[in-house]
Amino acid sequence: MKKFKQFVNSFLLVELLKGLMVTGRHMFSPKVTIQYPEEKTPQSPRFRGIHALRSYPNGEERCIACKLCEAVCPAAAITIDAGVRESDGSRRTTKYEIDLFKCIFCGFCEESCPVDSIVETRVFEYHFEEQGAQILTKEKLLEIGLIHEEQLAQDIEADAKYR
Amino acid sequence: MGKVNIEIDGKQLTADVGSMIIEVADEADIYIPRFCYHKKLSVAANCRMCMVDVSSLPKAVPACATPVADGMVIQTQSDRAIDAQKSVMEFLLINHPLDCPVCDQGGECELQDLSVGYGEDVSRYVEGKRVVKDKNLGPLISTDMTRCIHCTRCVRFGQEVVGIRELGATGRGEHIEIGTYIESTMDSEVSANIIDLCPVGALTAKPSRYKARAWELRESPSIAPHDCLGSNVNIHHRRGEIIRVVPRENESINEVWLSDRDRFSYQALTEGKRLLKPKIKKNGTWQETDWQTALNFAVAEMKRIIGVSKGEEFGTIVGNNSTLEESFLIQKLIRGTGCNNIDFRTRRRDFSKDQYSGVRAGFNFPLQDLDTMDATLLIAGDIRHEQPLAALRVRKSTGFGRAMAINPFDGEYNFRLYQEIQPEPHLLAQEFACVLAAAAQKQPDKINAEIKDWIEGITFTEQHAIIVDELINGEQSCILMGVYVQEHPQAEVVNWIAEQVARLTDSKWGYMTQGCNAAGNKMAGAVPNQSEFGGRATPGKNAKQMLTEGLKGYLIHNCEPDVESLWADQALANLQNAECVIALTSYEDGRVSDYSTVMLPIAGSYETSGTYVNVEGRWQSFSAAVPAPGESRPAWKVLRVLGNLLDTSGFDYESSVQIRDELKEKQENSRDKKESRKTPPELHAASEEETKRDSLGLYMVDPMVRRANALQQTSKASTHPISISRVTT
Ligand code: SF4
Ligand code: SF4
Ligand code: SF4
Ligand code: FES
Repeated sequence: MKKFKQFVNSFLLVELLKGLMVTGRHMFSPKVTIQYPEEKTPQSPRFRGIHALRSYPNGEERCIACKLCEAVCPAAAITIDAGVRESDGSRRTTKYEIDLFKCIFCGFCEESCPVDSIVETRVFEYHFEEQGAQILTKEKLLEIGLIHEEQLAQDIEADAKYR
Repeated sequence: MGKVNIEIDGKQLTADVGSMIIEVADEADIYIPRFCYHKKLSVAANCRMCMVDVSSLPKAVPACATPVADGMVIQTQSDRAIDAQKSVMEFLLINHPLDCPVCDQGGECELQDLSVGYGEDVSRYVEGKRVVKDKNLGPLISTDMTRCIHCTRCVRFGQEVVGIRELGATGRGEHIEIGTYIESTMDSEVSANIIDLCPVGALTAKPSRYKARAWELRESPSIAPHDCLGSNVNIHHRRGEIIRVVPRENESINEVWLSDRDRFSYQALTEGKRLLKPKIKKNGTWQETDWQTALNFAVAEMKRIIGVSKGEEFGTIVGNNSTLEESFLIQKLIRGTGCNNIDFRTRRRDFSKDQYSGVRAGFNFPLQDLDTMDATLLIAGDIRHEQPLAALRVRKSTGFGRAMAINPFDGEYNFRLYQEIQPEPHLLAQEFACVLAAAAQKQPDKINAEIKDWIEGITFTEQHAIIVDELINGEQSCILMGVYVQEHPQAEVVNWIAEQVARLTDSKWGYMTQGCNAAGNKMAGAVPNQSEFGGRATPGKNAKQMLTEGLKGYLIHNCEPDVESLWADQALANLQNAECVIALTSYEDGRVSDYSTVMLPIAGSYETSGTYVNVEGRWQSFSAAVPAPGESRPAWKVLRVLGNLLDTSGFDYESSVQIRDELKEKQENSRDKKESRKTPPELHAASEEETKRDSLGLYMVDPMVRRANALQQTSKASTHPISISRVTT
């Protein structure tokens, strides 16, 4: 009996038709391939791209040099020097550097920050042309922060209720 | 003392009657949370964090204020104890700011740690928090008084340990504030200890404010280089930079304290103007060069001057804080070239005993015993400013014992003096001789013919007799000589009298010395009449002769004779007029760049390995905590190369430990030379001119301290209390 069933199946090319059915189904289903860079995938508000240091609307940097991000970073990518700011005696960084070659984009720094200062933007397309440019200095980070502030504020707002 | 048996957390323990639960628990390594309790301070029991559950009592009790009783069963982790601790924590946090990210104590804060253990994660308190105005306590301590939890450790420290009440608590309840009553800075020489004592971030160090977190610091043990006690310290550094210096507990030297001088002098290394490359002066301008050229230049000059003058016209001055190894190498080197002029005692006038060789420590008893003296006689000692931590010990002894002083100058003491005699400076020895006369009369069977002759005609007063009585009657008593004694033109007379009085009254004696390694320098042979461990050496010129007579060439090591020596003006002129001055220095500012011809950069303290011998004769070795900046090298390496270039033999050391071991061996083999005189020194009148005291002052003692910015900004840096004599003639 079994043998007979097998014979009929192979004679009628059932297996082949089954396979073709899959092909057929996929031929008419919607396509997911993205034509990067013309097209781009949607991003989560939690996307972890290049870092930025945010500032308050009045221009004051947020970072208070608590050094928690430096401590939590599993890749030891962050280096901070801190001190008393001359003008008002507040606690500020004198050096804040992230080495992007070391960074593994885990997002721990962002999570540890008590003042939402160090964040990861949605930017993931960047390149370096010179040796050493992979080190993001405090100036660069603050600048990135200024450029993307609107988006960053929105993203943090969107994520706030889960934190 | 009786013993009782108690049980803590199921552990059976025996404890002394009268000890507190917390002490017993600490001993047994059972942790009880606490804020106000500190083993060196009295029990205040005002924080209530240390609540434990004693089964026989209806309520939880504070462990720091509850003495043990036989059969006590104590639980530190029971529900009742934890409950009590949690409520205390909640109360403490009511008014505590949520400040940890900007707080310098973050990461090493007792409150932070304990709130993780006992705090609730959500506060029930919604009312406003109180804010307290910060106090300005001077350049060493910064304050954030809102964070204060009123444990009063800082207040008790001032009151009990230092004896100077600088801080106090005003107001009650919500309005309590820690402060100085009237606006003033903290000026005591040990003030910064309250930084360590404060369990929270209310009192933190100003020089290292916001610089680093506790978790990124590395810790290296070292020895503080500024006074003859040799306080034990830990150097906290990060990426090769010293961030702060904190005390390392050593019950027999510094207990848990540290003087401000030892704590903040590191600033000279990090912020001072360091010499980073060897430099040679050509036609009046400094030119950077490499080590090879600089060393060759120095060697050529040394050979030339020593060769022409047969060693007469060249002098070597060794700094007070040079390590044992450095002093040993430098004397070996200079004697190897046929020159015998070497000395470290730039503040000594009396060289009369130089021909008697011998080495010994300044104390014939352990420093720790200062705590328990029934009678302490201070001779010309400004102990508070010279050895701040020894003063704390003497103060401790005055709780039951008596301190007395013979001091020509206005002393500032942090303890009460039972007797005080203030002779004129040039009559110090004469005054002290009266004490010997009194002692001789009280102990007639102990004196020998020599003393009898010596005290012939010396009269004494009631006061001298009282002093002697105290020394005799005290079960333990000692005579302590201040640094000034060794500067006095009759130093040897005073020393001799001290030892005789000590012998007659059955007391101990101790000499305090300038700098941290006077004993080591002498052992190493950095003196004109003896090489290492009292070895024979051709006599040479002493520091006074070298600095006042003027030589053609000088080698100065880690020292600025134009500031430090007693003959500063003459020294400056002579250094300027010399043909060649070779300076081994860590710093390039100051007049050293003025008068020297070649500057060789050497590593500073904490950047080199070595050994200091403290006043008790205790050898304390340390290794480098941080690397020396630029091209500077540890001095022992520089001296080793210099030795080889000068064709002197025996300079093939590979490490400073090797040098130390060799010295240790030499010490063991050296005969225990008695340093006694055949005849007592003569008591002649000293001139008033010679006995003027140009005190160096608390924060001027060595090149390092002089360059420590924060210390220089304190009020103690500018006004030194002991420089004028109250006696007017
Ligand atoms: S994302 Fe992760 S690895 Fe990168 S800097 Fe932040 S903590 Fe470090
Ligand atoms: S004192 Fe301690 S608990 Fe208070 S803010 Fe500072 S680190 Fe935090
Ligand atoms: S300042 Fe610090 S040590 Fe002094 S009472 Fe307040 S918490 Fe205690
Ligand atoms: S430690 Fe016991 S009450 Fe403060």
